[in-house]
Amino acid sequence: MKFTIPIGPQHPALKEPISLRMTVDGEVIRDADIRLGYNHRGLEKLAEEKTWIQNIYLTERICGICSHSHSTCYVQGVEKLMEITPPRRGNYIRYLVSELERIHSHLLWLGVAGHEAGFDSFFMYTWRDREVVMDILEMISGNRVHYAINTLGGVRRDLDEMQVKKSLDGIDILKKRSEYYFKIGANEPTFVARLARVGYLSKQQAIDLCAVGPTARASGVPRDVRKDDPHAVYDEVPFDVCTADTCDVLGRVVVRIKELMESYKICEFVLRNLPAGDIAVKAPRKAKPNEFLSRYEAPRGENTHYIKSNGSDKPERLKVRAPTLANYPATVDMLKNGFIADIPLIFAAIDPCICCAERTVELINGRTGEEKFVHFSELRKMAEDRFKKLPPKRNVEWPL
Amino acid sequence: MTDVEIMDKAKSLFGDKIVEMTNPAARRIFIKVEPQNLVPLIAGLRRDLNITYVATISGVDLGESFEILYHFGHEHGSLTVRTQVPRTNPHVESICSVIPGAIFYERELQDMFGMIVDHIPDPRPLILPDDWPASNFPLRKDWKYERPPEIIPGGKK
Amino acid sequence: MLDRLVRWSRIKSPWILHLNSGACNACDIEVVAALTPRFDVERLGVLLKATPRHADVIIATGPVTRQIKDRIVRIYEQTPDPKFVIAVGACAMSGCVYRGAYNIMGGLDQVIPVNVYVPGCPARPDAILDGVVKLLGTL
Repeated sequence: MKFTIPIGPQHPALKEPISLRMTVDGEVIRDADIRLGYNHRGLEKLAEEKTWIQNIYLTERICGICSHSHSTCYVQGVEKLMEITPPRRGNYIRYLVSELERIHSHLLWLGVAGHEAGFDSFFMYTWRDREVVMDILEMISGNRVHYAINTLGGVRRDLDEMQVKKSLDGIDILKKRSEYYFKIGANEPTFVARLARVGYLSKQQAIDLCAVGPTARASGVPRDVRKDDPHAVYDEVPFDVCTADTCDVLGRVVVRIKELMESYKICEFVLRNLPAGDIAVKAPRKAKPNEFLSRYEAPRGENTHYIKSNGSDKPERLKVRAPTLANYPATVDMLKNGFIADIPLIFAAIDPCICCAERTVELINGRTGEEKFVHFSELRKMAEDRFKKLPPKRNVEWPL
Repeated sequence: MTDVEIMDKAKSLFGDKIVEMTNPAARRIFIKVEPQNLVPLIAGLRRDLNITYVATISGVDLGESFEILYHFGHEHGSLTVRTQVPRTNPHVESICSVIPGAIFYERELQDMFGMIVDHIPDPRPLILPDDWPASNFPLRKDWKYERPPEIIPGGKK
Repeated sequence: MLDRLVRWSRIKSPWILHLNSGACNACDIEVVAALTPRFDVERLGVLLKATPRHADVIIATGPVTRQIKDRIVRIYEQTPDPKFVIAVGACAMSGCVYRGAYNIMGGLDQVIPVNVYVPGCPARPDAILDGVVKLLGTL
């Protein structure tokens, strides 16, 4: 039977089109294929016509959830091209906002994962806590998203005593709440059983297909730019790289939870040890002809910017590679031999950011050739019904 | 391993294929090769130095030629292999036989610059829309875009 | 009489459809955050629907890319009358920073008629609620 399923959003409100075509045999997916391009905004060409400072605001708006990642990755690269070093206090504030962004992104993703698995209360709880982080960020930078705190040579706003104290209080509240949720998650057998053994990606596949971020770390590949390429504050702050061995969606949840706890520790260390001094140095207008590859660990994986200058005040070439693009070949591999009902979960597990929310999924079965349209809400209902009827998976443990 | 150790090992193993090797910043190595030596060098890097993770593939329009950079990452930094092809004959060999995960980046090279990647497993366009006029390659320096005039409903132009 | 009843229920409980036409996701997260316990828009009767055929109000974000232009027109035609469109964020109003790129048509009003514009980059959830309320006030 030929199934054409427009799977709407990966979440009822997050919509960005991507087209997936899959060959199906009954309920099992045999082959998958991806069509990108609905979200292509021609950014690299636009960046060649704007100056270095205007490009900071342009790269921020590549993505709304990880906007500071793109902006920091770009600014790191340009500072190396211009051969200026931001002062220590500026660096600490910049990477404090990075870790806060990682916390907010992981809480967002946990809510979405809970929603995809049918656990809606989890979604509401984690997003309520996310508001605590948004308040801290708004106090530091002035906006809930798109913080615009980076500038060439440092940061734009400073922290005073009261802000540091309020941030520490907020992180304390979050730590207590997060530990409470993870106890619930560990003791909720249906939640764990729903996620186990779904979306399997072996370690060799993760290495061959160049997966990044928690998708690769959940398959046992300890790839983290903060350890491979320590720059600025990461060689002074103690932290661990979090991996898991289960190679499935449950492993990815566990990796993100561990990273959340590590980020709390890093934020506290940074807030307690803020050095005194300036927050920025003055940057020249033009950059000498040079090139640099800038790498940064965004919440979803490794963010890579390649910047080339030609001596004027505009870049010659800016190449951006977002982490979700690197995870697509791995996703196609994960979908093979999976079930249709698992599609939203597998897709949500790689934490799609740039080109991912509204997907049109076309399932083509080799045999008959019938076409049928199924809505996303119907698909999720199908998944829930199917899992109610199956016997619960025994002997599945919470590997935390 | 530090940068110097990696550079020495690469020189001893592949010295004849490397045209130029530089180390402009900490943990960044740049190697230049000729296009015909590209795939053997990358296969050698994978086999001997265990460098398997390709971060991205960038294309740069240098006027007379296109420059293609393959950025690799490993536990101690990053390594970039670069090669140049002439503008009149932009053919480059695909590295998907060595590293399957590079397929998306090569498709993007084909889309944006009009380069032709030989033996690519999947030659479809990646990100340009379906109704895009053919042989318009946006990232070439001589391609300019003229925006059509907008109509603002209820206002002046 | 029936008309008044229908009009009252339409004002008291609009059902919305969220449409993203190539945006960076910031405005979309703020629309979803409006459902969460802090701003809680469901207590006002606003429900988020997944299909255009059930919706009264389309909330759209993002500059319009060439690829998705036809899909937006199709979704607009699938929504039953009377329908209203709210353009959220600077991108939907005029293209924000992406004005002039080769794949962008401009704001949303180049493709479908718009009733309310909510500015901001991204627009706060309170501002989005304010936009919905102002729209209902004109009914």
